[in-house]
Amino acid sequence: NIRQISNASGPPRFRLMMSDGQHSLTCESCLLATQLNHLPEGNLLVPNCVCLLKKTITNTLADGRHVVVVIDMEILQSAEETGGKIGNPTPYNTDGTASPMKASPMKASPMKASPMKASPMKASDVKTSPAKALSMKVSPMKGSPLKANSASPGSSTKVIPIANLNPYQSKWTVRARVANKSSIRTWSNSKGEGKLFSFEIVDESGEIKITAFNKEVDKFFSLVEQGKVYYISKATLKVANKQYSTLKNDYEMTLHAHSSIVPCDDNQSIPTVHCDFVPIGELENRDKDAIIDVIGICKSAEDVSRITTKNSREVSKRALSLIDTTGKDVTVTLWGEEAEKFDGSTQPVVAIKGARLSDFGGRSLSALFSSTVMVNPDIPEAFRLRAWYDQEGYALASQSLTETRSAGTGFKVNWKTLNDIKNEDMGHGEKAQYFSCVATVLYTRKENCLYQACPSADCNKKVIDQQNGLYRCEKCNKEFPNFKYRLLLSANLADFGDNQWVTCFQETAEALLGHSAETLGYLRHTDEAAFDEVFQKANFTTHIFKNRVKLETYNDESRVKVTVMEVQPVDHREYSRRLLQDIYKLAR
Amino acid sequence: MASLLDAPKPRISCSMLSQYISRAVCFVGRVEKVHPTGKTFTVSDGEGKTATIEMNEPLEEELSGIVEVIGMVSNKGVIMSTTYHILQEDKGIPFDLELYNEALKVIHDFSQYYPFEVAASG
Repeated sequence: NIRQISNASGPPRFRLMMSDGQHSLTCESCLLATQLNHLPEGNLLVPNCVCLLKKTITNTLADGRHVVVVIDMEILQSAEETGGKIGNPTPYNTDGTASPMKASPMKASPMKASPMKASPMKASDVKTSPAKALSMKVSPMKGSPLKANSASPGSSTKVIPIANLNPYQSKWTVRARVANKSSIRTWSNSKGEGKLFSFEIVDESGEIKITAFNKEVDKFFSLVEQGKVYYISKATLKVANKQYSTLKNDYEMTLHAHSSIVPCDDNQSIPTVHCDFVPIGELENRDKDAIIDVIGICKSAEDVSRITTKNSREVSKRALSLIDTTGKDVTVTLWGEEAEKFDGSTQPVVAIKGARLSDFGGRSLSALFSSTVMVNPDIPEAFRLRAWYDQEGYALASQSLTETRSAGTGFKVNWKTLNDIKNEDMGHGEKAQYFSCVATVLYTRKENCLYQACPSADCNKKVIDQQNGLYRCEKCNKEFPNFKYRLLLSANLADFGDNQWVTCFQETAEALLGHSAETLGYLRHTDEAAFDEVFQKANFTTHIFKNRVKLETYNDESRVKVTVMEVQPVDHREYSRRLLQDIYKLAR
Repeated sequence: MASLLDAPKPRISCSMLSQYISRAVCFVGRVEKVHPTGKTFTVSDGEGKTATIEMNEPLEEELSGIVEVIGMVSNKGVIMSTTYHILQEDKGIPFDLELYNEALKVIHDFSQYYPFEVAASG
């Protein structure tokens, strides 16, 4: 395109008089975007220089005139080289005559073919952009890079970014890739029944969810394929129902009878999927039930299993373990067909978009109906993970965020305070209840804390002292010359809410007192003061207690009994974070 | 200045400095730079903001890591410190400064539930 310039006017906004050898646009009609001001100011853009308009927008003024705003341009040839006006441009009439530009007068210009980057000298190509600019189409057009134009099917592709979609604009087209397509679902409720399917599309600017109902399902379901790029236009935009979608867009789209979906071949610039991966080590800091994207190497995968849900439906599930460069691993559960199809034997890179984070076993992830599971995806993060794992990751003894050992609970940590035991009538049901709490030891009973037990490996039954140097175990039906000491400790725990008598067996008692049963048995005979001191020292120590509570009946008397299953030191940071979260929740 | 150490002092972060001018405060932060004279040094709080601490006498030891400073806030926002002590981190448990900051925010936002001053006067 050959342009001529004259006249700067007003505050630093440059108006250009442009011509392409055939026609010229007056100063009123061409405006230079301010980011290009440096061109005329630096004497690069001077009258008679030749430039290539790379991006333009055409705006229509109230009186019907058109203004072309040049957003990006490149100076191809300086004025000196051009040596004066090219051709004999006549003013272009802007009153609606969209006369097709005649191809070819370019040969007059000494335009070196090579410096032209975007398109070759085919005048028609180069012309498409300004031709559109001059062609009086009403809607503002965000100039698409020249290469994309060659793929546009017809003249009405005013492609806009997904991020710009809103219900107030009806004439638009988006070009995007289908990132996630759901299967057809049917519903039946009091209002009637129907079917629907939904899919998510993504382009460089963002993503949006599209739903099709009933007739549109038949029309579009087979046409829309995951991973392919389409031009989509004429659908209804409305505010997104966040209950059903976790995409980052305020709006969502519904297809209707006039909607159009056309496959697009040129899809280099569209990203395949829009993911915001959270490092596995970070998952502890996220709230439960959050929807997140993760990527990691599948270290191991269990076999697929079939379970029956509450609704008596049978569904397949498979748990796999994902690890990433933070060295932490987490258990991810896949469901249905995805669970059945999954093959973890090659330790592939697995990326999941839209998985739900739960606090089951600490932290774990579950694939939802709307999640997308990608195995060995074609994205840079996947290659990085593969390289890291093959070099060092495979040898890492990772720290699991999902505790799979039961320790009597096997479910998410149930944090309670001691007053909850009475308030919630814990343990009154058929099954024992389990909970964890942070509590301080007030008192440990040193009387009758030790008993003599059968020395056999797996037997802990109390032995009877035969008084002849032999001890009899009723369970094993044998007599032994010795016994082993075992602890059965009664302690009183307290927190701000209440106090509670609990029973600690061997392991937990030893953890609390800091000594083995044998040592204590010995101390009891030999050094009473030291023996007493052990119990004193345990007082006013604070720990995390995992407890089992159950209502037990003994001779017409029912009492709630609490047994300590596990004693752990308080992780102050984790505790603080939990308290802060609780405070924030209560503050709302 | 002895009375400074009697009453409990509110814990603050850098953003609260301006509200506590001419008052005794307790500030916990990570040591950033120590002035060559040893009489002044900067600390950063959980939010990353820095405050300056001025000492009566120059420091006699190498100061690094997390430190708790007690002093008075001057009208320039500098803490004129009477005493300090270093919080040991070598026991294997690092001090989580960001978490401390979060806790401070809660204490100040819900100060009606954290009546530290009342305890002293009782």
